[in-house]
Amino acid sequence: MLEQLKEILSNKLKVSPEAITPEATREDIELDSLAVVELSLLLKSELDLDISDDDLLEAETVADMVRLMEERSAKV
Amino acid sequence: MAGMDIAVTGLGLVTPGGIGVGPSWAAVCDGRPAAALDPVLANNPVQISCRVPGFDPETLLSARRAHRLDRFVQFALVAAHEAVADAGLDPRTWDGARVGVVLGCADGGPGTVEEQHHVLREQGADRVSPLLLPMQLPNMLAGQTAIEFGATGPNLVVATACASGATAIGTARDLLVLGRCDIVLAGGSEAMITPLVMAGFAQMGALSKRHDDPASASRPFDVDRDGFVAGEGAGILVMERVADARARGAHVHGRIIGYGATADAHHMTSPHPDGTGIEAAVRAALADAGADPDDVQHVNAHGTSTPLNDLSEARMIQRSLRGDPLVTSTKGVTGHLLGAAGAVEAAFAVLSVEHEVIPPVANLVMPDPRIEIKLAQTVTSMPIDLALSNSLGFGGQNTALAIAPA
Repeated sequence: MLEQLKEILSNKLKVSPEAITPEATREDIELDSLAVVELSLLLKSELDLDISDDDLLEAETVADMVRLMEERSAKV
Repeated sequence: MAGMDIAVTGLGLVTPGGIGVGPSWAAVCDGRPAAALDPVLANNPVQISCRVPGFDPETLLSARRAHRLDRFVQFALVAAHEAVADAGLDPRTWDGARVGVVLGCADGGPGTVEEQHHVLREQGADRVSPLLLPMQLPNMLAGQTAIEFGATGPNLVVATACASGATAIGTARDLLVLGRCDIVLAGGSEAMITPLVMAGFAQMGALSKRHDDPASASRPFDVDRDGFVAGEGAGILVMERVADARARGAHVHGRIIGYGATADAHHMTSPHPDGTGIEAAVRAALADAGADPDDVQHVNAHGTSTPLNDLSEARMIQRSLRGDPLVTSTKGVTGHLLGAAGAVEAAFAVLSVEHEVIPPVANLVMPDPRIEIKLAQTVTSMPIDLALSNSLGFGGQNTALAIAPA
């Protein structure tokens, strides 16, 4: 899941790949509230995951986002 | 306010002639037309445009920054970086509160709107990008420039269609004269070459249809002109009061010594056939400069290559500027940069007075016999004490800028 998230962040949102580590915070990878909405749309279109921007905003780090993605994909 | 001189200390250009002042100026001086068939317009009735060659925003800006900007803002930021560096200013140390940004565009970001409209129709409203509005709003041009350079002074975008870039420079001059700020990044930017916008222009009958020879489609003042060719790009000027520029030892490219602005109040798109509106703007700019109309030696005309504009503008020049100025239109090379045109052409006029060189009207083979002004048919070297740059917009908005050497 980390690799899939990395790919979306770097290829689609153009976040520099070296910045995307599990410990990186949303600020570290420059994800403001608009970018979080973009990410939510991309998780749906690319991976068919339903994670709202509000849920993503509660994830403090990349690792937290990955955990959220794993939880949601387990439910499917 | 006559007598208040405003210096141009920095120039930045992104035009169909090239990225940067050097390539853009060389292209217009060489008379190398940029017009070509445009694959984006393959399904349009008119398929000719003037694109900026080799514009890669991810390299010129950062990939992350470029992703969140419409093309019209990308052009402006690239041009503004060149202008600020050329002015010898360092945004990390300047007093941002004294730095204003006044930019013009005709249409904001129609490319983003069309793309997201497609998403809306194909995938539904809940798939539309949250960046739609922050990318396409016209005022983002000045807002993003402020963010890029930490410019926290007066900040606005003006819209007078194809006069926008010149209106911005005139408005910037007013802010400096009034002492509202000390430095202004002024100019215009446009990225309107999209299938929908170009369909609209084509339906108006405004565009050249010279598909058999696109390079010669933009031919201002030529007897065979049949419409304009849309271009894209940006022109940014760093403007300061002359006294301030001299005090910090800045190089002054030229001075903006007068500005005039009027409205035709005549028709939504056609210029007044007698050119009375643009004539009044020219007279106002020269009065602002404290100059005699007969002393104008060079005009960088609006010269769009449309049958109506070029005739009425030429008649206006002949009637009101009796010193036989040498007239050019750089649109023969760049096409019509719409809301950026006035700024790009003001920059070219500044370069003309600085380098004492007037670019030719590209593609001017046979001047319209009804036009009796002196047109630059080859690149011409001559000292210029007083130049004019004219711009007219749909809606009947007219501007003239009076430009003098340093």
